[in-house]
Amino acid sequence: MTYLSFFKSELKLVIRRKQDIVNSLVFFLMIVTLFPLGVNPSSSFLEPAAGGIIWCSTTLAILMSVETMFKEDFHDGSLEQLVISGLYLPFLILLKLTVQWLAVLLPLLILSPLFSSMLFLPWSILSVLIFTLLLGSPALFLIGTIGAALTLSLRRGAVLMLLIILPFYLPVIIFATGAITAAQTGQDYMGQLAILAAISLAALALSPGMAAISIKASIN
Amino acid sequence: MNWIWFHKLGSPKWFFHWADRWSKLIFIFGVSLFLLGIIWGLVFAPEDYQQGNSFRIIYIHVPSAMLAQSCYLALGISGIVSLVWQMKMAPIFIKSVAPIGAVMAIIALLSGAIWGKPTWGTWWVWDARLTSVLVLFILYMGVIAIQNSFDDTRLSDKAAVVISVVGLINLPIIKYSVDWWNTLHQPATFSIIEKPSMPAEMWVPLLFCVVGLYLFTVGVTCWRMQTELLIREKRSNWIKAEVLDSGV
Amino acid sequence: MQTTLTLSASNLCIERSEKLLCDDLSFRVRAGEILHITGENGAGKSSILKVIAGILQPLSGDLDFSGEDISLYRDVLQAELLFLGHSTGVKNVLTVFENLQLYFPKATDTEINNALMAVNLEGYLVTEAHQLSAGQKKRIALAKLWLTDKKVWLLDEPFSALDTRGIKVLEYKLKEHVECGGLILLTTHQKPSSVLDVKELHLSL
Repeated sequence: MTYLSFFKSELKLVIRRKQDIVNSLVFFLMIVTLFPLGVNPSSSFLEPAAGGIIWCSTTLAILMSVETMFKEDFHDGSLEQLVISGLYLPFLILLKLTVQWLAVLLPLLILSPLFSSMLFLPWSILSVLIFTLLLGSPALFLIGTIGAALTLSLRRGAVLMLLIILPFYLPVIIFATGAITAAQTGQDYMGQLAILAAISLAALALSPGMAAISIKASIN
Repeated sequence: MNWIWFHKLGSPKWFFHWADRWSKLIFIFGVSLFLLGIIWGLVFAPEDYQQGNSFRIIYIHVPSAMLAQSCYLALGISGIVSLVWQMKMAPIFIKSVAPIGAVMAIIALLSGAIWGKPTWGTWWVWDARLTSVLVLFILYMGVIAIQNSFDDTRLSDKAAVVISVVGLINLPIIKYSVDWWNTLHQPATFSIIEKPSMPAEMWVPLLFCVVGLYLFTVGVTCWRMQTELLIREKRSNWIKAEVLDSGV
Repeated sequence: MQTTLTLSASNLCIERSEKLLCDDLSFRVRAGEILHITGENGAGKSSILKVIAGILQPLSGDLDFSGEDISLYRDVLQAELLFLGHSTGVKNVLTVFENLQLYFPKATDTEINNALMAVNLEGYLVTEAHQLSAGQKKRIALAKLWLTDKKVWLLDEPFSALDTRGIKVLEYKLKEHVECGGLILLTTHQKPSSVLDVKELHLSL
């Protein structure tokens, strides 16, 4: 096995499982629909809340995707093979993560104009939304990976994973929605974007190693 | 600096005997100090000119909030110690301290709510301090949950260590982000403790309560750790000798 | 350069689920040798292989690979290791060819075809693995033995999915591997035929 052959294999896996990606997007659509239906469909409610609604939906969609990241590999024995392959496990995890991230984020970015118009988010703010997604979603994926790695051997680890991971998502959500709200009120939002980038970079430094430790412990 | 004490702490046997000698004393001293502080504060300290008698809740709220944060700090550092030095006692410490920290967080939240009612008119308000204690409580529940979810001790220890280290690193980020979020959404609430202007009759009992509660926590944590050691090392000879000797 | 290929363990203690499986275990396997680990179910046969491969950590003990201490880090061993565990490591969504290509990206089509022929899977080259039976998936994993250049083989129940012809072919392959200087540790319930010259390690509960 080489890093390249692993990366190619992961890409093939994602492409063959297109249904999973479609599911995430439909899920996202459902949550976005939930708020107007459940609360208030008027633009006076939806426009200021749009950033928050989209980010809550993004968080849930990412959590769904991350939760099953290692499950299949664990059950069919390929995770074992990765650990003893002699390759650097944190980097393998990073490659896998990157493929997942692309698989979830690219469709999301393409559909973001649709979602923002459904929530009455002005076009001028769309670019800020896209920036927050680009800068904040890596952090969510990276931190989520640690949770997935810790709970992969549990039969019903999904709820436990959410419990552990959600507190760490709060800063990302706070700053991402903060940036969008600031843009909506005409204020400066570069600070918030910078912090999002910083959190993602810190997660990039920390998560692959932590996830590798967790995987090695879990595969007994 | 002499690091021998640090490595001694890592030996279960040494800790067990140390705790046997000292933990009861620490616990009793802590409880008495806390009771002293709380009776003084609740009954004898003068009324606050602004809040009347309701401010007295700080004698419970402040110590418990401080302890909730300190316990998590200790938990996180313990996780780092476990990762770097592979100290066997570290996961045991994490397991013992986590429920205590969680209870402290609940007490802080409840006392904060009790304080909030007469002061702000509502039981709950999303201010920075209460919200960060709430998040801290959820973090504690995460550590406790993950330790109880695995049958294999080695795995549950490793998982708890990873989550505490990640939590420790995230804690300042979460605190900062909640503070920042709060400045956006709330008008500045008056400071909860006006430190310099507190007369001695007010902050001395507070000090007693804080120190007393810390000592109480140390005592209880030692007991919990001893119990955990009894369970884990039940096959080793020194534990068998302990049990037979002292009839525990 | 000729280096003496040996794998040795000393005073290995292995624990699983709070139960002591192996206590103070020591053995040595040299190039050209096959170590056959026997014992009842649950005695720890798979666990030994997993400990050597680096999936499990032993409670205590040392491992040595050709003179290098690998007790803490198995990197040196893993570079020369092929491990076939109880789970096949076969991805259901990929075809048989893609599954093998993942582990052997440089293998040519002919080589892969020959390997599949040896395990009686010719014709399934582009079949997606989820369409195959459990036994066939195990044979995909076995096909790796015909494609690898790694010297140390750790095989957990390699004969379990094979018919008599398959067993003969695999035994021949194992014999060929050790004659070329390789080293094998395997677990199996069956008694290996006299074709193979094995050392035995028996574990009791």
